[in-house]
Amino acid sequence: MEQSRMDKLSAGGIDVQEALDRLMGNEKLLQRLLEKLLSDENFEGLKAAFAAEDQEKAFACSHTLKGVFGNLSAKALFALFSRQVELLRAGSLQEARELMQEAEPLYQRLLEAIRAYEEGV
Amino acid sequence: MLEQTKLPNTILIVDDNDINRMVLANIFSDSYRILEAENGQEAISLLLPNAKDICAILLDVMMPVMDGMAFLERIRNLGWNGGIPVFLITAETDTSVLSHAYHLGVMDTIQKPVVPYIVRRRVESVIELFRARKRLRLRVEEQQEQIDAQARRIIELNMGMIEALSTAVEFRSLESGNHVRRIHDITKCLLLDTELGVGISYETIEVIATAAIMHDVGKIAIPDAILNKPGKLTAEEFEIMKTHTVRGAEFLQSIPQMRDHESFRYAYEIARHHHERFDGRGYPDGLKGDEIPVWVQAVSLADVYDALVSERVYKRAYSFEEAARMIETGECGSFGPRLLAAFREAEPKLRSFYKNQREGEVHGTEQDG
Repeated sequence: MEQSRMDKLSAGGIDVQEALDRLMGNEKLLQRLLEKLLSDENFEGLKAAFAAEDQEKAFACSHTLKGVFGNLSAKALFALFSRQVELLRAGSLQEARELMQEAEPLYQRLLEAIRAYEEGV
Repeated sequence: MLEQTKLPNTILIVDDNDINRMVLANIFSDSYRILEAENGQEAISLLLPNAKDICAILLDVMMPVMDGMAFLERIRNLGWNGGIPVFLITAETDTSVLSHAYHLGVMDTIQKPVVPYIVRRRVESVIELFRARKRLRLRVEEQQEQIDAQARRIIELNMGMIEALSTAVEFRSLESGNHVRRIHDITKCLLLDTELGVGISYETIEVIATAAIMHDVGKIAIPDAILNKPGKLTAEEFEIMKTHTVRGAEFLQSIPQMRDHESFRYAYEIARHHHERFDGRGYPDGLKGDEIPVWVQAVSLADVYDALVSERVYKRAYSFEEAARMIETGECGSFGPRLLAAFREAEPKLRSFYKNQREGEVHGTEQDG
């Protein structure tokens, strides 16, 4: 991958080299996974679940997002959602919701970085 | 190469998240066929028809409909015996969950997010182990089949030698080779189809029937002039004729391979004692009643019956009815009540051995002429 495009993803919080290693250097696959994230509805779903105080749905969405960020090596988001999943598992809905304030800007920055990366393709 | 194609080469990936499935599939798709399921339920329906092609299952824990643990429990209840290694791919670190998974037969757990070379190395090591085991098992089965086939050939050869020897001896008495076959069949029928053989296993009855074939091998030591004399034997000639019992037993004992054969014990007793009589007036030892083993008594009766209904140099063939009457009344031989009861029961079936064989004999005679 060109350095300039790698930098765009890095700016979104992705450890690009680690993500590519996980995909055995398959850049096309990375691109597909990133595209999928752009249309992923779990983050919106999670916010709605917190609004409705739906613990079960919040857990499901949070767990999925944790997996996705893990696979993409979005390090900060992965760490944050790992914490959130544990809080939800323990039933601490309130504390888990508070993490969203931290998560929201990180998530938006990631989406912007992916769009910038896509434009460069 | 051929062996390789027989070995399972499909990895079943079970995860509700398509990104997870894509990441795992990407790691293995260059050298394995990949099947994907979104939950435990789907995995079961894919597993059943493809079980013999699947070399590993990569299983997520948290899934809707049927999660990883429920899947493990289900396949355990279906009688799955650990023939396919299951890897738990999980972010779970709770040791009670992991120990439950191991208890349910999971081979290994791999942490998410996955590191490809670790996943690949760990999964492939186990796949190779299972394949090696399978190759070994196939090899052992193959060798076992070869050993069984060899054993069968040896048994057939033994049987063939025993029949050939016995038939050669019978031919000297100008009898057909069918005589030995019939002694075998009549002895077997008396022991198997009546209460006479109660307590004797089927295998042993077969061995006794084979041993019965050799009852007259001692006749090999009797001169032709006596063996085939058309008229009545003199007292001196009869004494010589009687020695075929003891000579037969000695002969069998003198062959080392025979002594080791499972039929030897029976063959020896039968050769020596098949002319003993229930009333004690037989030879060579004058054994009486149940001093004579019941299976020897059965062979004696088979020999007498066959002699009566067959034509010999010194006599015509009697009818089945005449033969049965002569045995019942003690006009020919002396048999105990238990054996006679068994004979009465089996006699209708004994006749059928001749219906099938007389045609063969007629044929043989024509060819001889």
